[in-house]
Amino acid sequence: MADKADNKLIGKNYTPPDHIAKVTGKAKWAEDFRADGMLFCKLLLSPMPHARVRKIDLRAALAMPGVKAILTADDLPKLDGPGAERALTNEPLYQGEPVLAVAAVDELTAAEAIERIDIDWEPLPFVVDPLESLRPNGPSARLEGNVWAPPAPRPAGATGAPPQPEIKTLKWTAEDFVEEAAGRLPMGKVLEEWSYGDLDAGFKEAALVLDETFVVNGSHHQTMESRSAMAYWQNGKLHIYCSTQSVVRTADNLSQWLGIPASDIVLVSEYTGGGFGSKGGGPISMTIPAVLSKKVNAPVMMRISREEEHYIGRVRTNMTGRVKIGFRKDGRITAMDLFIVQDNGSYGRWNDYAGAGNAASLMYQPLAMRWRGVSVFTNTFPKMQQRSPGPMQGNGIVEPVLTKAAKQLGLDQIEIHKINAPAGKAPFGPAVGPGGPNGKRPYVTSAFVKEALDRGAERFKWAERKAQAGQRRGSKVRGVGVAVGPHGSGSIGYDGIVTIRPDGKLYVQSGVGNLGTHSMVDLARVAADILAMPWERVEVIWGDTGKFLPWSCLSVGSQTTHAMTRANHAAAMDAKRKLLEIAAKDLGGSPDEYELGNARVYQRGNPGRGLSYAQAGARAIALGGKYDGHELPEDIHDFTKRSAKELAGLGLMGVAKDNYPRDGATWSFVAGFAEVEVDVETGKTTVIDYLAVGDVGTVINPRSLGGQLHGGSCLGIGHALFQKMVYDQHYGMPLAKRFHYNKPLTILDIPPTLDWDAVNLPDPETPVGARGTGEPPVGAGYCAVMNAIADAVGVDVFRRGPVTPDVILMSLEHGRRMHEPLKAHV
Amino acid sequence: MEEPIIERGTEEKRPISRRDFIKGVIAAGAVATSASYLFRSTGAMFSQSSAQGSVERLITLNVNGQIRRVDVMNQETLAMTLRYKLGLTGTKLGCDRAECGACTVLIDDVPHYSCSVLTHTVRSRKILTIEGLASPRGELHPIQQAVVDEQGFQCAFCMSGFVMAAVGFLKLNPNPTRSELAHGISGNLCRCQDYNKILTAFMRGAEYMRRA
Amino acid sequence: MAVIHDVMPSFGLYQPASVADALNLLDRHGRDAWILAGGLDSFDWLKDRIKRPKAVVDLSGISELQGIRESGDGLEIGAMTTLTEVVRHPAVRERYSLLLEAAEHAASPQIRNQGTIGGNVSQDTRCWYYRTGWFCYRAGGNICYADTPTAMNREHAILGADRCVAVNPSDTAPALIALDASMVVRSKSGERVVPAEEYFIGPGTDITRMTILQPGDLLTAIRIPGTWGGARFYFEKVRDRNVWDFALVSVASAMSDNGETIERVRIAVNGVAARPLRLRAVEDAVRGKARSEETAKLAGDLAIQGALPLQHNAYKVPLMRNLVKRAIRGAEGA
Repeated sequence: MADKADNKLIGKNYTPPDHIAKVTGKAKWAEDFRADGMLFCKLLLSPMPHARVRKIDLRAALAMPGVKAILTADDLPKLDGPGAERALTNEPLYQGEPVLAVAAVDELTAAEAIERIDIDWEPLPFVVDPLESLRPNGPSARLEGNVWAPPAPRPAGATGAPPQPEIKTLKWTAEDFVEEAAGRLPMGKVLEEWSYGDLDAGFKEAALVLDETFVVNGSHHQTMESRSAMAYWQNGKLHIYCSTQSVVRTADNLSQWLGIPASDIVLVSEYTGGGFGSKGGGPISMTIPAVLSKKVNAPVMMRISREEEHYIGRVRTNMTGRVKIGFRKDGRITAMDLFIVQDNGSYGRWNDYAGAGNAASLMYQPLAMRWRGVSVFTNTFPKMQQRSPGPMQGNGIVEPVLTKAAKQLGLDQIEIHKINAPAGKAPFGPAVGPGGPNGKRPYVTSAFVKEALDRGAERFKWAERKAQAGQRRGSKVRGVGVAVGPHGSGSIGYDGIVTIRPDGKLYVQSGVGNLGTHSMVDLARVAADILAMPWERVEVIWGDTGKFLPWSCLSVGSQTTHAMTRANHAAAMDAKRKLLEIAAKDLGGSPDEYELGNARVYQRGNPGRGLSYAQAGARAIALGGKYDGHELPEDIHDFTKRSAKELAGLGLMGVAKDNYPRDGATWSFVAGFAEVEVDVETGKTTVIDYLAVGDVGTVINPRSLGGQLHGGSCLGIGHALFQKMVYDQHYGMPLAKRFHYNKPLTILDIPPTLDWDAVNLPDPETPVGARGTGEPPVGAGYCAVMNAIADAVGVDVFRRGPVTPDVILMSLEHGRRMHEPLKAHV
Repeated sequence: MEEPIIERGTEEKRPISRRDFIKGVIAAGAVATSASYLFRSTGAMFSQSSAQGSVERLITLNVNGQIRRVDVMNQETLAMTLRYKLGLTGTKLGCDRAECGACTVLIDDVPHYSCSVLTHTVRSRKILTIEGLASPRGELHPIQQAVVDEQGFQCAFCMSGFVMAAVGFLKLNPNPTRSELAHGISGNLCRCQDYNKILTAFMRGAEYMRRA
Repeated sequence: MAVIHDVMPSFGLYQPASVADALNLLDRHGRDAWILAGGLDSFDWLKDRIKRPKAVVDLSGISELQGIRESGDGLEIGAMTTLTEVVRHPAVRERYSLLLEAAEHAASPQIRNQGTIGGNVSQDTRCWYYRTGWFCYRAGGNICYADTPTAMNREHAILGADRCVAVNPSDTAPALIALDASMVVRSKSGERVVPAEEYFIGPGTDITRMTILQPGDLLTAIRIPGTWGGARFYFEKVRDRNVWDFALVSVASAMSDNGETIERVRIAVNGVAARPLRLRAVEDAVRGKARSEETAKLAGDLAIQGALPLQHNAYKVPLMRNLVKRAIRGAEGA
């Protein structure tokens, strides 16, 4: 492994440089850009949950002064693949789906034009609840079918494109639904399943077997900044200002959506007002101003309103899960049988339900396990990965059962988590490998979950608080809860570019997004440390593909910290090698006789004999070739090559692909500890204290980490307390719209004390030791609070989240659960 | 040019779900529309401007200590005037419905949601936006400085509104407890949910303000 | 015609400087007029393009509608007084903390800085079917979408429903009823003063309105008598989130006792019916009784008599019962 640099920057607090622009109002988000002659566009949204356009009458709209052009789905490039979503459609699959866009001189004109457009609709069958769609003769959300079928197995020796997943029709029998009456999820035929170990033997061995059904409600990402975008064309190039989590990867996606080369796109997204998964590779809606501005030959601003964001801004998948778990007396899980019905929404193929299965197998290390699942289309908002997509829902289905088992077995919640916790290179999922089952289960690079639980238990004073739990004071009763959220936390194989220029500064090109995680800057500190560069002399270039950025990971799924510390490490090590070589060339001796320090390369032990970085940068340009980027490594991505060519000759260039080895899959873990107070006369829950402890590898920027741990925890807490989607099932209409009814957590809903900590143990399979951390706190926050509520008022009070006052009050009042047991979106 | 009528042909008849379609939604909009449809603003507005009690479009605003002349439609909100007429894009629109606080500005020192204020109602008032907070020489306001020092906020789309809400609150409550401060700035949403760090930053900012 | 719920339509904007001018404008424009107070309810309707008034009458420039004055042994609060001004006013703090608490629990600080007490009591219901523009009874149609077997009605009425099952969202309304406030309503034809309790109307009276205000009417002030100054008060609002959200159920009570038994009491709830309900039967039953757990239970059980829950709001029955119990017990017993 690469040598360890002296960490002067890694692990220390600092303030990212973009903060000044943000706090003075100078930072520009997508909707802050203006262009001469800029038009505005508004969208016509489907009034029906599923329909087809028979005829559109645009005459009255086009006759209005100020209306410049109207874009329909027919104007957009076709996209391949079953279930592919385009930005506009002639067959809306959910109420609120954009059907056409009007460009006009101002928004008022555009809005009034939309009111003058007549559309003749052909209503089509619809369904908003996945179980309803699985009923015998139940409606299907799409004309092609209602469920995803996995790709057919590839025949041995087959060549050509691999088989793709398909949309099929799946209906269960009336017999399958018999269990529904008892509030248990029916388990009909599924098209996907896996297992390992001997499930039956596991259940036989168990001292306690529980079989429970839980609903994890989907909810909107609801980023503060909507997915507004502004676009214009100049000299054959598309210039687009958009809101996306990723920059380089978004330009790449956009080129595919539009069918133009990525080199013809200048994509600017210097600041993004949150993503949480909903803007991963960029929102497809940005194709509307992109195409419309070409059609009308003028810049077009598409301002997405909060209500529109609610429709097109993405939603976490809803899961109804049933799990049967066998426990030994000591709490160890002998067998787990997990069955999930996922609401896939109207578009895309979301693998959260598979992620939930993998996460459950990792998090609770059952000795034997089976996972079965089906992803059902509904005529609801398009889903997308939301912060911990899958593992959070997996947590939500399994954790309450763990807590119930702990109560019945007389075990402490922490103990039952510890005895089942993954450690070291813990296995997960089924035994599969390239080409099919190979008998060996995949495993993680490292896991220090027990360490996190121990550290948290002490810091949270778990034992003291536990002693107080369950005692009623007036109408209030307290409870404590713990849960561990896991999530895959890092990919590999991306590129880094750094340059040391004759101005003596280090320039780090950053191709990831600036969505609030600060990773686009934080991770540049890896390069600065390796190159012994004072931070004041480091410039990070980000947010604009016109500034020549390297091929980078998608800024999603807790990947960035891991992926880009590695890529920046590789590029910096390349620059370091070149610095040493140049010094040896100029000053004699061999490269290994030189070292780096204080922005100089010098003879080991003789700082006087060396070159400043300014000199080295100039020398690299004089030498040319590989030194200043005129010769590039073969294995870097084409996107990186294009950027590096543009940067060639500016200074000494470090450019490399992350080829560092990795044994295992990278996962992070966060243990959450919650104390709640439930008012049994009102049903209202107050979270009074919360602690998140991360097992996320080496800490890069402690304050960024703390922010991620708290932010993720609070998202989970919001899911536990309030956040949900609500549909009128009869009309297929969304009701809980905008912020008001979607109910994101406010500052007065967070616990008054909110603490964090990290085990800070480096991951052994990555050079900087850092893993990602955005996702895992979510499932921990969600379930620690749910477990604490169960601890306070009983493990059988709820079978769905969020646990709102009505849920608690009705259960306590009636001595049994009164809420809808299985339905989504209530 | 545009095709004024797009015929997509009649598709084969599909079975309609046993549920009803909501004609009500469509009908409701249509009724409202036909009852009181107004054509584009310009002509209609100017013709009304002579009516008793109605307003002139060209008005004077006091924004960040500067007097600005601006042409404002009757229905225009302060957020839109700031962002699209005066180039002050530091004020963000998060919801446009008084549900998030991203557009918070001070009007006569009092925090308001500028998305929910008609520009015509603040003609004689002092408006302060995030752009007017630092000194003319560029020295950050103590609250801004504290945000920088504590790395408050993540994506920061909510930041301007939060900062303005905090400045307004601290003018009247210079020495709040953490809980009082939380109540004071509770009309602002942060979806990164970095509330804890925001409070830490503003508590430090309050301290800076007391020392200044 | 396609529907778009975005971008405020244009309208005539009138900014009268006196009540007399405002009344003239309201009279002239009749049903085409829209009264703009703080605007927080209005802008929702306008931005959704569901309401299309021709003439918006902005009251913010009328100084006689603003501020709090001592009046006899009580207070007169101008309708355009903001909720923040109500909360900060010394007399409100000292003698009518019930109103302070109610106003302080409304929405968010910025909304309280702008929203007026007149607007708070006159605002429209938040039924999500009605507010989405569905053509329901309240909107002039002939169905209640919130009262079907599959409707989502967690936040709807358990009492007093008549075709429409929407609820009144005001936080200050029950407090004003408990304080025996009266509302001063003016129109071109004169001034009426009505008890707060009668200001609010249910669907049985007029399904399209929440209050007695007719076109041409203007709520100018709210008078609070000295009767209940400094009494024993209880206010509680149960909601999901601690900011912005309207009450699932709220309770406000004013009480005086002689140390042993309840002498005088007024109690009102909101969030359970289309108008805030004064609980006269409860008041009659507890008067003269000890302020005990037994009396509290009696009050709670009596309060919910006749409650008729819908599919998703049965929890409001125990919630209302428990809040009424707490009102009798008082803050120290919560």
